[in-house]
Amino acid sequence: MTGLPLLVPVALIAIAFNLMLSPVARDDMRLRLPEIAALAALGLAVLAGVDLVEHGPGHGTLPFLGALGFAVMMDVVSVSLMMTVSFVGWVVLRFSRVALDGETRHAGFMAFMSLVLAGVILLVTAGTLTQLVIGWIGIGVALRPLLLFYHDRPRAQRAAKKKAFFSMISVAALTAACLWMASAFGTTEIAAIRAAIEIGDVPDHLWGIALLLAVAAIVKSALIPTHGWLTEVMEAPTPVSALLHAGVVASGGFLLIRFADLMIAVPGVMAVLALVGGFSALIGAAVALTQPSVKTALAWSTCAQMGFMILQCGLALFPLALLHIIAHALYKAHAFLGSGSAVEAVNAIRRPGPVAVPDVRAVGRAFGLSLAIFVAVGLVFGIASKAPQAVALGAILVFGVAYLMAQALADAAPRPLTRRTGAMAGAATLAYFAFHAGADWLTAGTLPPPPAPDGLAWAVMALTVPSFALAAFAQATFPLWADHPAARGMRVHLMNGLYLNALADRFAGRWSSKEI
Amino acid sequence: MMSDVRTVYSDALIDLLAAAEDAIRQIPPAFPLSATVAVNPFLGQIGEDRATAAARLARVAGINPLRPRAEIAELIEDGRITDADLAAAAAKDDLDVVTLRVAARTPAASPTPHPTVAALAGAATGNNWEAFVEERFGQWAAAAFDEGQALWPAPKGGLFSDWHAFAAHDLSSEIAGLRGFCAQVATLPDCPREAIGRAAAVLGLNEGDGLAAAPIYFHRLLMTMGGWSQVARARGWLAERDGGREDSALALLAIALSWEAALYTLFADKIDAAWAAVREQMAAPVEPTVVHRVEAALQDAADRSAERRLAARLAETAEDGRAPGDGPGDGRADGPGDGDDKARPVIQAAFCIDVRSEVFRRALETTDEGIETIGFAGFFGIASAHRDTASDIVEARAPVLLNPGVESTSATPAEEDIAIRLRHRAVRAWGRFRQAAVSAFAFVEAAGPSYAIKLAKDALGGAPEAAKPAAPVLDLPRETRAEMAAAILGAMSLTRGFAKIVLIAGHGSTVRNAPHASALQCGACGGHAGDVSARLLAGLLNDTAVREDLVAKGIEIPADTVFLAGLHDTVSDRVTLYEDAPTAPSGAAMTRLRDALAAAGRLARAERARLLPRADNPESLPRRGGDWSEVRAEWGLAGCAAFIAAPRRRTAGRDLGGRSFLHSYDWRADDGFGVLELIITAPVVVASWIALQYHGSTVAPEAFGAGNKLLHNVTGGIGVVEGNGGNLRAGLPWQSVHDGEAARHEPVRLAVVIEAPTVEISRILDKYDSVRNLFDNGWLSLHAMDDSGRMAHRYDRGRWIEVDPAALGAAIAA
Repeated sequence: MTGLPLLVPVALIAIAFNLMLSPVARDDMRLRLPEIAALAALGLAVLAGVDLVEHGPGHGTLPFLGALGFAVMMDVVSVSLMMTVSFVGWVVLRFSRVALDGETRHAGFMAFMSLVLAGVILLVTAGTLTQLVIGWIGIGVALRPLLLFYHDRPRAQRAAKKKAFFSMISVAALTAACLWMASAFGTTEIAAIRAAIEIGDVPDHLWGIALLLAVAAIVKSALIPTHGWLTEVMEAPTPVSALLHAGVVASGGFLLIRFADLMIAVPGVMAVLALVGGFSALIGAAVALTQPSVKTALAWSTCAQMGFMILQCGLALFPLALLHIIAHALYKAHAFLGSGSAVEAVNAIRRPGPVAVPDVRAVGRAFGLSLAIFVAVGLVFGIASKAPQAVALGAILVFGVAYLMAQALADAAPRPLTRRTGAMAGAATLAYFAFHAGADWLTAGTLPPPPAPDGLAWAVMALTVPSFALAAFAQATFPLWADHPAARGMRVHLMNGLYLNALADRFAGRWSSKEI
Repeated sequence: MMSDVRTVYSDALIDLLAAAEDAIRQIPPAFPLSATVAVNPFLGQIGEDRATAAARLARVAGINPLRPRAEIAELIEDGRITDADLAAAAAKDDLDVVTLRVAARTPAASPTPHPTVAALAGAATGNNWEAFVEERFGQWAAAAFDEGQALWPAPKGGLFSDWHAFAAHDLSSEIAGLRGFCAQVATLPDCPREAIGRAAAVLGLNEGDGLAAAPIYFHRLLMTMGGWSQVARARGWLAERDGGREDSALALLAIALSWEAALYTLFADKIDAAWAAVREQMAAPVEPTVVHRVEAALQDAADRSAERRLAARLAETAEDGRAPGDGPGDGRADGPGDGDDKARPVIQAAFCIDVRSEVFRRALETTDEGIETIGFAGFFGIASAHRDTASDIVEARAPVLLNPGVESTSATPAEEDIAIRLRHRAVRAWGRFRQAAVSAFAFVEAAGPSYAIKLAKDALGGAPEAAKPAAPVLDLPRETRAEMAAAILGAMSLTRGFAKIVLIAGHGSTVRNAPHASALQCGACGGHAGDVSARLLAGLLNDTAVREDLVAKGIEIPADTVFLAGLHDTVSDRVTLYEDAPTAPSGAAMTRLRDALAAAGRLARAERARLLPRADNPESLPRRGGDWSEVRAEWGLAGCAAFIAAPRRRTAGRDLGGRSFLHSYDWRADDGFGVLELIITAPVVVASWIALQYHGSTVAPEAFGAGNKLLHNVTGGIGVVEGNGGNLRAGLPWQSVHDGEAARHEPVRLAVVIEAPTVEISRILDKYDSVRNLFDNGWLSLHAMDDSGRMAHRYDRGRWIEVDPAALGAAIAA
């Protein structure tokens, strides 16, 4: 029973080959096979979830595949991610079946989308290092023809080239880490490795493995400065972006969550993750604000969200990182697939008249009020007993809610609007705590709780919390300083993503005609 | 240095600015996607014939506005283009049939435009500076034209000074290897005119050959900016329409020239000789070569073949055995102008002239013999500046050629309006919470999981429900109301014989997740659905005070006549009825109307389903409108090929395939031919813009098409770019004109057929050069219909040529 999820990638690969190897007519029913397989995968994931609740985490394989080194590990991480990925996969494949109708290589597209999905499912359910690495590599290999679906577009070629470069780094780092683990722990079974760490049976130079895993994760999740390709792959059809942003880039975070016990044992690497993640979160979010194209803004937002998720990993808040991956996948898949509504959305923004701009006083009150709500709701959810890391992260989220509150408290906002927006702020806080509590509860026993912070962790928190506070304050008071000449200049640099990509382009000879 | 600039200003700048003006007028406007309307992409070239335009566009953009030869060769092969078509086309230009036949089978080289300085610098250095400039310019322009996508908008002063500030800060150019670019830009003047003068001096455009090259060179530069120069041109075009002036396009030209001058300064040592040669080539006058003349003649032959087929279809006996010329009383009435002797119709139904109405009108007439249909422009004569419920935005519900003359608002009660506003503002606040820095993270963790429900809902889709917003009200005094009503009824040829129910049906298209949704709406309503216009007219004509005043103007509307507004959804072919009238129409008549509309909808869906991919079940069409992944919810106006102004009985009963604009017009009732003048100068022009937009997006998609829907990245809320960025793409997406295997729009010119005395048509053409140009230069063809409903005369550059009935007979036989 536990090995059944392995049937999903097998089925998807079989469907992919069927679609690639025999001619497919335009209205061929076989174009529906990938979405049916994704739906079946969702069903299996739900069954696995029931099994998990009844019997606890399991480990299993299928005949023949087991001999090849494939085995699945079904715990709350893999089950929840398999549900998410197969659900998003179903939506995206269904969308692709209709949207790409009439494209000459429609069947090939469906085939490679199925292969990417197979790769992601192999990855998230991996019980062995072998399967993990194969899934990881498979995703990248299957993604390439999709990024080059319009292969005569020079900009698509450039993005794919950049992606290939970073893929190579992440594959190399992960493979090295896995080989190192296999030799150091004497097993390729992930559960066995975790068990060894739990009883303190760790090899020397564990930091080396952790560092390699961190590098693989940072690159795979396209954190700054390895983000260049992610913000350029709008050169592929919309569903590719949806699948990529919802299902693929989060693999980096998944890797860290999967090896959470190992990562926690190396606080130095955790601090690096937190800092790199936090930096990406802040810069990515600021750049996203300046982007006038919907998909580009969404891509930068992914870069920021992945940064935030890695920051959560770095603070050892793995359950929250898992929640973030799932919530972000659902939101971002919808945002990309629905990006055609942007004309309507922008028009709708202008219809009800000008936005009420809060002054500094209103922003101050909003921060105070949000803090009060946070403490009040937090007390209900037992904030006092939470780890300092969780409280620090909660504080960051309060700054976000304060932005909503500040809009409510703007002098120009009519009373009923204030009430309504205030209620939304309260509801958001409540939902946020409820989901956090849920994530903590579901993953208890599977994912390690954050350790008591050492000096390094305190330093990281002391750096990140005020940075996010400052950014939130700047955002809320934005209209008051945006016209300053320095802000205008800064806007140009931000809009260009601080030129990190331009430098990479120069280095890679992007504008050379030879390449095109 | 300063004095040099001054010298340029005084000596040549005026000539240069004239050349700039000239080039800007060659650029068609493109309207924002929030309410886009079709524009003739060759609007700047209608003063010259198609061969000359082909020569010009080849030089400035490397495109061919004519149908590809290979397609023509196929049409010759399968006999759709006959020797007679080829002979007629050849005769116009001293060519011969054999030349044309051979040319059609000879593959054509794709045209190469004049190189820009960026292109020369690219060739000399091995770096693609053209692509670099396009990307840099696009990055800036997207922010400069942004209507609200970015939460941190770019500062907005003048376009040129904004760019100036941007480019002086933007380090990308330095990083890419353009050393000293920022410093060079920083020294530019802040005024676009002075910047043009400065750049022209650097580029050697201020005298002799250089000056002669300027108009073509400037046009070339504007074309390198794709849709950006077109949206800029739209601002100027609208200002000129209303008697003003706006210089956005000039600012963009100044920016392009500043780039060119900067690149020239950096690479002059490598490219100055080449540039001098290019300048000389650009100074040559635009003249069509034999290649352009042959290709124009081939297009002409294809056009004639389509016109011949239309003539044959019109000459054919109607499906129910009636000949088109049969007199009144024995065939389908055209409407009330036909005389009082016939029985009063039960229902009259007025639809927009839009080609999609033809299918539905035919279906409706087939369903119920007692229903008369009328064709009229879908704004129904009320050009209104409309403010919708809970909105500060004023929408022009009128053809873009007109400046709205009246104001209307939605009649939502004030409290409800405020409540809706508050709801929208709360939603907007939530949207900002989602987008803003830091709060975006909180958003994802608090609300992300709820997107599972949205994803499932959207994935499953479903036919959208028709909304029924509050009725609009017109802000007009009583005298003006009656005047307006009389004028509109006159233009509709509807002044007598009113039925008990007169349906005024606008049209709209309900689609989801489609940036180009407004391109499927009613063009006559400014890219909005036609519900507001239809309801305004119905309201006006149901007004008892208006009816009283109309009597004095000789129009008597029976007390039991009710005007009923409706909206024809062109995706689902369902008609929503708005029962706003103070007195309800009789129940029996309403039931009959509803039944007929439902039955007609089924017929129309069955007919349209044959042309849509994946539509084996016609009843699945309504679902397409609710499907967020559907890229071909309907075909819009693709295939449009004819405009017919005549009584409906000339066309009734004939399957015109949803390709004809049908305007009801009875010249015998048109005293002084005022209505004819209106038709020729307004609906004909609008129809030509639509037909030529489809033509341009089909034959030259790289310049006049919006590209691939799968790659669309909505920018600034006003348009789309393909993929990462670069040029804005104006026009129609590829999926809107192509079904994946073949072009859905057949690129032939619009045939305008009018039943009216030829002398009167000529008299009107003589009055309006801009309309006459369209016919004289071959962009449209013009035919006069005779009393028997045949296309009896063909207009040929000022003359009317009688069509040989025998040739027509042969065409029918074939």
